Amino acid sequence: MSTVEARPLAGVPARPVPVFRRVATALVMVLLVWSVAGLDIKWSRLLEAPGDLYTVGRLMFTNMEAAQIGDLLGQMGDSIAIAWLGTMIAAVFAVPLAFVAAENLAARPVVWAVRLVFNLLRAVPEIILAIAFVPIFGLTEKAGVVAIAIGSIGTLGKLCSEVLEAIQPGPVEAADAVGATRLQRLRWGVLPQALPEIASFVLYRFEINIRASAVLGVIGAGGIGQALSESLRFKEWGTAGLALIIVVVVTMIIDTLSGWVRRRLVSGGPSRRPASDLVVDDRPLEVTPLG
Amino acid sequence: MAVGLTVLSVMATGFSPVEIWDGLFRSNAPLRGLRNPDFGQLFSERSRGPFLDTLRVALLATAAGGLVALPLSLWSTRFGAPNRGVYAVLRVFNNIIRAFPDLLWALLFVAAVGVGALPGLLALFFFTIAVITKLTTDTLDGIDMGPLEAADAAGARHNEKLRVAVVPQILPSFTSFLLYSFELNLRGSAVIGLVGAGGIGQRLEFFRGQGRWEEVWGIVFMFFLVVFVVERISVLLRRRLV
Repeated sequence: MSTVEARPLAGVPARPVPVFRRVATALVMVLLVWSVAGLDIKWSRLLEAPGDLYTVGRLMFTNMEAAQIGDLLGQMGDSIAIAWLGTMIAAVFAVPLAFVAAENLAARPVVWAVRLVFNLLRAVPEIILAIAFVPIFGLTEKAGVVAIAIGSIGTLGKLCSEVLEAIQPGPVEAADAVGATRLQRLRWGVLPQALPEIASFVLYRFEINIRASAVLGVIGAGGIGQALSESLRFKEWGTAGLALIIVVVVTMIIDTLSGWVRRRLVSGGPSRRPASDLVVDDRPLEVTPLG
Repeated sequence: MAVGLTVLSVMATGFSPVEIWDGLFRSNAPLRGLRNPDFGQLFSERSRGPFLDTLRVALLATAAGGLVALPLSLWSTRFGAPNRGVYAVLRVFNNIIRAFPDLLWALLFVAAVGVGALPGLLALFFFTIAVITKLTTDTLDGIDMGPLEAADAAGARHNEKLRVAVVPQILPSFTSFLLYSFELNLRGSAVIGLVGAGGIGQRLEFFRGQGRWEEVWGIVFMFFLVVFVVERISVLLRRRLV
């Protein structure tokens, strides 16, 4: 009676050929071969590298002098000061600019222009800025502070404007309803919502900047980087090892403290912290959802 | 607290806004050079080589770093570690290498193996391992345990289990991390040249040493052009992967 006929299964359909994947793989292989062939490296040296590294490591960690700890800690303190001051100056510029770069708060052409400035600033690594500032301010911490400050405005501004765009419209409407002026609306409708996250982003940027300022001394912009690069250059291994340990340990301690404060700052509200706690670079990473 | 830190920092760095203002707007060599940068650098015979070297180093470091980072991150998770000891050791190891910026790796390797492209490659190799391992272990925390149990039930050995039940789940994210760290490495490979680790940074340092700011800015701008193009391609590919 049934009008539907049972058809035999026509076999499993053939797997689709992953064209994109194959082309991409081939392309990457070609590029890698090109890289190996083109680089002026004696590849046999690669085998000696672990031995060399071990030698240097041993020299570093067997010749340390405890007397230098105080001095090096002082220089690490300078690095921290550079990072902190640079971050604060960046925040002073970036937070007000972020209001102008948020689509829900400012006119479109203005938003577009400010974002362009943010993106340009974001593209420049601090160390390149420091290269330009060292001849201007001399071999001092000032060069480092200015480099860090200018380098941070772009990212901080962008992150903060994104926070501002994500605020709830409710409080703003409420402020409007009771007849707030534009400034009052920002102060009472917008700022209270965004401030914890903005503060958390500023701290996050401070963590990144510690890493940057610890190496700025390499080109003479103050801080512990100078001691580190000089001791390595003149083969004072003990000093270098001690400086290295100080940089790593202090960085990790500050990360932990700052991470704790950041969690306290944003807990309670919906957290929109950076995709990951990874502190290497500041550009947002589009994290892919799990397939 | 924040105010106190700021005051301390001002004292430590001898910072004064007036001086900064004066410095920036006084006529100075870097800013004069910025007025007419030498855009010919990309096409000059002697700069093109280092440019390409920078690309090559970034490519190789990303590929090699990724190759190491995949098993490393698998083994530094609770379910993926062969035993608790390995887990604990790898976690500490990951945290330590993560505290090193790229330039610090470069300094270290230049001191250990000498000047050239090799220390640059090694520096970015370790930097890549640190970046990708961190990102991948975060991703691994959120995977679906079902396939893992299925593989267990089917009697897979430990590493087989990871390969068939875990790797396919994280592969799209992992590939996008690779592309991301390639972008980081490309910028990094320009910077590490400043300390003698080869690539375009070394060329930059050369012109800087001679005070030839037109060339310095020319290289910087050209480099941003390259980075921008590569980033666009990389973002396109990453979208494609999701």
